[in-house]
Amino acid sequence: MSVRDFIKGLPIHDSSNFTHLSNEHGIRTSQKRASVYLPTEDEHSEQLIVMDKRCVLLRYLTQQWDKKTLQRKREHGGDSGNGNGNSSTPNGNSTNSKKRPRLDPNELN
Amino acid sequence: MSHHYVVTAQKPTAVVACLTGNFTSPTDLNLIIARNNQVEIDLVTPEGLRPLKEININGTIAVMRHFRPPDSNKDLLFILTRRYNVMILEARMVNDVITVVTKANGNVSDSVGIPSEGGVIAAIDPKARVIGMCLYQGLFTIIPMDKDASELKATNLRMDELNVYDVEFLHGCLNPTVIVIHKDSDGRHVKSHEINLRDKEFMKIAWKQDNVETEATMLIPVPSPIGGVIVIGRESIVYHDGSNYHAVAPLTFRQSTINCYARVSSNGLRYLLGNMDGQLYMLFLGTAETSKGVTVKDIKVEQLGEISIPECITYLDNGFLYIGARHGDSQLVRLNSEAIDGSYVVPVENFTNLAPILDIAVVDLDRQGQGQIITCSGSFKDGSLRIIRIGIGIQEHACIDLPGIKGMWSLKVGVDESPYENTLVLAFVGHTRILTLSGEEVEETEIPGFASDLQTFLCSNVDYDQLIQVTSDSVRLVSSATKALVAEWRPTGDRTIGVVSCNTTQILVASACDIFYIVIEDGSLREQSRRTLAYEVACLDITPLDETQKKSDLVAVGLWTDISAVILSLPDLETIYTEKLSGEIIPRSILMTTFEGIHYLLCALGDGSMYYFIMDQTTGQLTDKKKVTLGTQPTTLRTFRSLSTTNVFACSDRPTVIYSSNHKLVFSNVNLKEVNHMCSLNAQAYPDSLALANKNAVILGTIDEIQKLHIRTVPLGEGPRRIAYQESSQTFAVSTLRIDVHGRGGAKPLRNSASTQAQNITCSSNFLPKPGGGNSTAANAEVGQEIDVHNLLVIDQNTFEVLHAHQFVAPETISSLMSAKLGDDPNTYYVVATSLVIPEEPEPKVGRIIIFHYHENKLTQVAETKVDGTCYALVEFNGKVLAGIGSFVRLYEWTNEKELRMECNIQNMIAALFLKAKGDFILVGDLMRSITLLQHKQMEGIFVEIARDCEPKWMRAVEILDDDTFLGSETNGNLFVCQKDSAATTDEERQLLPELARFHLGDTVNVFRHGSLVMQNVGERTTPINGCVLYGTCNGAIGIVTQIPQDFYDFLHGLEERLKKIIKSVGKIEHTYYRNFQINSKVEPSEGFIDGDLIESFLDLSRDKMRDAVQGLELTLNGERKSADVEDVIKIVEDLTRMH
Repeated sequence: MSVRDFIKGLPIHDSSNFTHLSNEHGIRTSQKRASVYLPTEDEHSEQLIVMDKRCVLLRYLTQQWDKKTLQRKREHGGDSGNGNGNSSTPNGNSTNSKKRPRLDPNELN
Repeated sequence: MSHHYVVTAQKPTAVVACLTGNFTSPTDLNLIIARNNQVEIDLVTPEGLRPLKEININGTIAVMRHFRPPDSNKDLLFILTRRYNVMILEARMVNDVITVVTKANGNVSDSVGIPSEGGVIAAIDPKARVIGMCLYQGLFTIIPMDKDASELKATNLRMDELNVYDVEFLHGCLNPTVIVIHKDSDGRHVKSHEINLRDKEFMKIAWKQDNVETEATMLIPVPSPIGGVIVIGRESIVYHDGSNYHAVAPLTFRQSTINCYARVSSNGLRYLLGNMDGQLYMLFLGTAETSKGVTVKDIKVEQLGEISIPECITYLDNGFLYIGARHGDSQLVRLNSEAIDGSYVVPVENFTNLAPILDIAVVDLDRQGQGQIITCSGSFKDGSLRIIRIGIGIQEHACIDLPGIKGMWSLKVGVDESPYENTLVLAFVGHTRILTLSGEEVEETEIPGFASDLQTFLCSNVDYDQLIQVTSDSVRLVSSATKALVAEWRPTGDRTIGVVSCNTTQILVASACDIFYIVIEDGSLREQSRRTLAYEVACLDITPLDETQKKSDLVAVGLWTDISAVILSLPDLETIYTEKLSGEIIPRSILMTTFEGIHYLLCALGDGSMYYFIMDQTTGQLTDKKKVTLGTQPTTLRTFRSLSTTNVFACSDRPTVIYSSNHKLVFSNVNLKEVNHMCSLNAQAYPDSLALANKNAVILGTIDEIQKLHIRTVPLGEGPRRIAYQESSQTFAVSTLRIDVHGRGGAKPLRNSASTQAQNITCSSNFLPKPGGGNSTAANAEVGQEIDVHNLLVIDQNTFEVLHAHQFVAPETISSLMSAKLGDDPNTYYVVATSLVIPEEPEPKVGRIIIFHYHENKLTQVAETKVDGTCYALVEFNGKVLAGIGSFVRLYEWTNEKELRMECNIQNMIAALFLKAKGDFILVGDLMRSITLLQHKQMEGIFVEIARDCEPKWMRAVEILDDDTFLGSETNGNLFVCQKDSAATTDEERQLLPELARFHLGDTVNVFRHGSLVMQNVGERTTPINGCVLYGTCNGAIGIVTQIPQDFYDFLHGLEERLKKIIKSVGKIEHTYYRNFQINSKVEPSEGFIDGDLIESFLDLSRDKMRDAVQGLELTLNGERKSADVEDVIKIVEDLTRMH
């Protein structure tokens, strides 16, 4: 791809754009300014952008906790299955379900 | 209390961002440009860029991006401001009327976040699902976009990367995926994160690449189906998509850093890159079809040519680009498929940029009573001086070399139906020439009935399709159809005609003391009356006061000897009024005219001054006598019409246009050096134009309807930093920074510039504390390393030629500069302060103050003294050198032995960066500790601290407003005023400089200077302003701060409050919030300042809204309190606009 081909292949939105741009007086220095937009009619913003007020750290910890809780439930379900196999001791099953383990504080790190 | 009016004279010109898209309608191609707090919308047309609208934002724009929502055929605009306000805007255009709708807005700031060191970054997902921003360290802020929700909830995600250089969204991803360049102790890395929008968290790392180039700074996402990203580094370019990797290392890249790009084609194959050296490159991705889809197989990079140093680039259409710049002028350029002189880039149009304004000088170069501003503008190769003056501009369309013109008139010759004039008659000594205008062509022709062997005194089209020519011999009546003489009138005896005036039906001729009244008839001239006056006639006018009338009932006469203006009545030439003009200068031009229904007599004298009166049409009585100074040479007054308004052009060494506004005469300079003669011209090729003659040429052009700033550019090719003016040598001294590159044979300039092309070039001897230190520094420089070279330029005040360049050897840099007359020495010197800036040292330890004398085209070093640190500021202080050196303020005396001897000093600053002096008082601007007021005790030879502002502020500029009042600007874009309270009862209170006024300007002021843009005391002004301080900013804005009294402040404050309610804010940022004084977490309401930009927008309101704004407003006029009405307020605000 040569420079020439690169430039010739530049896209065209409207082939007439810039065709009447006169360059015969050399480079112009433009100082023309558009008129200033001065709205006096009130239009309510369609949408408000609001900041989530929850602290980033708290949200992060909550997410971590939810992940660990979910993981533990899966393990508990397996354990329950094992308990179910031991039909001779129905109390054992009940005992297992009551013994929900505490979250180890160190795991939060 | 302290009350101030602050207003912008020149809006910011530095471009922050530019975009191309379909904003105003699906078929419009728009260019959108962001500058500081403004957004400009242009339309791309066959004629070029057409400005459509300028939108004010109540905030400093940090990021501007655009996106297209799904199922939409138009683009929307996203803006993030420096204070973390965000907005999504839509522009709608129906029948050329634009409305801007705020579709979403809010604030995403975090009270405990640590701001990102490199500034804020924002990016938008290509499918417009989410906006992502790096605002704070360790956080990534997302705004999910939900078209149907009434609220968009922004959330901060925790991000492990702390030093982020760029962020973009990747294309073609199932979930929004962000890619970042970040830095840690191992180097720079690229990493992508997938975002779970439902859970508001990063899911996984899609892919990453560790240890990309050490200076990688920019990411370019590539559209589908290619996908992936281009990583731009200082020496290489890498394409990466997680599996494919391609790198190129073009040799030309080594010189500078690529800092911006434009994607040219929607398929993602073509890009344009710009670097900090102002070079434009093309980048092309070569692709191949494989079993996995389209993949990149190579990257092609070629250099295209030179542009302004770009801040941003956008592709427009048909090979045209917009280059947005903040170091030089922005540009419209065209890419040519064939190289010309090795470049494919053709500059087509420049857009003026003054940024950054580092220093200004305010000088009345033409002795016109109004200052011109000379700015140090731009940086690096795009550095320049800009000469800025206010005035009415002439758009020059043609220029014809014709020296020695003594008079000029336009005529319509012939009797066709065309309303256009087709002939210019030019008078010279002893002859007359006639130019015929055929289209744009001008050819010399003849009118047989005219005497071409005599100087013409007057020419005009007159009644019955006839022409008049008056020479010293006679009045000649010529038929316009046949061009033949049909009548001639001569004064009796051998007398010659000296002065003449006419309208379409009457002629008045004067010969010494005799006046003749002649009536123009069909084919004849009839002398109706004559009279001998007591004194010789100097000037005449017989213009009808009522422009619908063909005849005048009155004649105005200026008399020699008696120095008076006399009103005569017609037809009998009876004297009905006499006015002594008092003085010894004879009147040279007299004119009766009507402005806004009021009749005036204007009388210009030989010394360039002018009297004007209100004239009674019936009695000829003159009242309300006023005097103004227009120039220094005899002035000629001519009437012309522009946009259906009567105007008077005063031709002299200082051409002025006189017009009326709200029944007051206004005097505006014209942006031309000298105009000796002029006439209005309404030709086919030059409609509604003027013809203006100076000593050498005739200019045909049109006139601007209002006065405005005119900017002339003197390119330097290197960055100017400080400027000082010296009247005695008629020169400016400018310190500049030039970049040299170390080659094998030593450092060489990269390009020709002002210092390399000066008429004389000298070089400082190497001064270093250690022997061999310089050699070791030079020897250590690598080939290709850039070296900063500082020069002191001496520049002619009129031609801006560089008369002398004095180069300092690196690492010596110029830190401050002034012109001063010292002690009893009759000479005026340039005083230059330098310091050695060595990269390994935390701050400079050694510098010097050097005294230069520029005399008879030679720059001589007269003296120098060493200083221990950097001298940041120099001020002439009662014939001595006052210097801010590191944490010291020091005073040096200039001895008879031509030495600087330290007299006293005080050390109580962090760094004394800025100094101003007034009488015995010194105002110090500190690096961190705001401002301090010192006093020099001359008898004891010591400095005493009088008072200080105890609030910490990082200062950028200071100025003394009066003995007790001090103005400062600091790095967060705030202005403040402190006032000394000498009447306080306790020592503690007297030692404080309390802050009495605060204002957020939204731009950083680098320099304050006393001075005025407009002529002083010309015309009438009813607004009670006091003093005028000009400022220049980082973004290229120029503005004015002036003091106003309390009751005027109260009135304007009331108007301000009403305007805040009436004018709605685009983006819903309240004006009050915007103008709050804010430094980090400290927020104070704005007070003591009136926002002149807001006040002056009153004039653009509809009459209805003006009435709403004025409702209930009270003002004090002539000491009397009353309810304001719309006309009163318009008058006052228009007066304020004429300050700048």
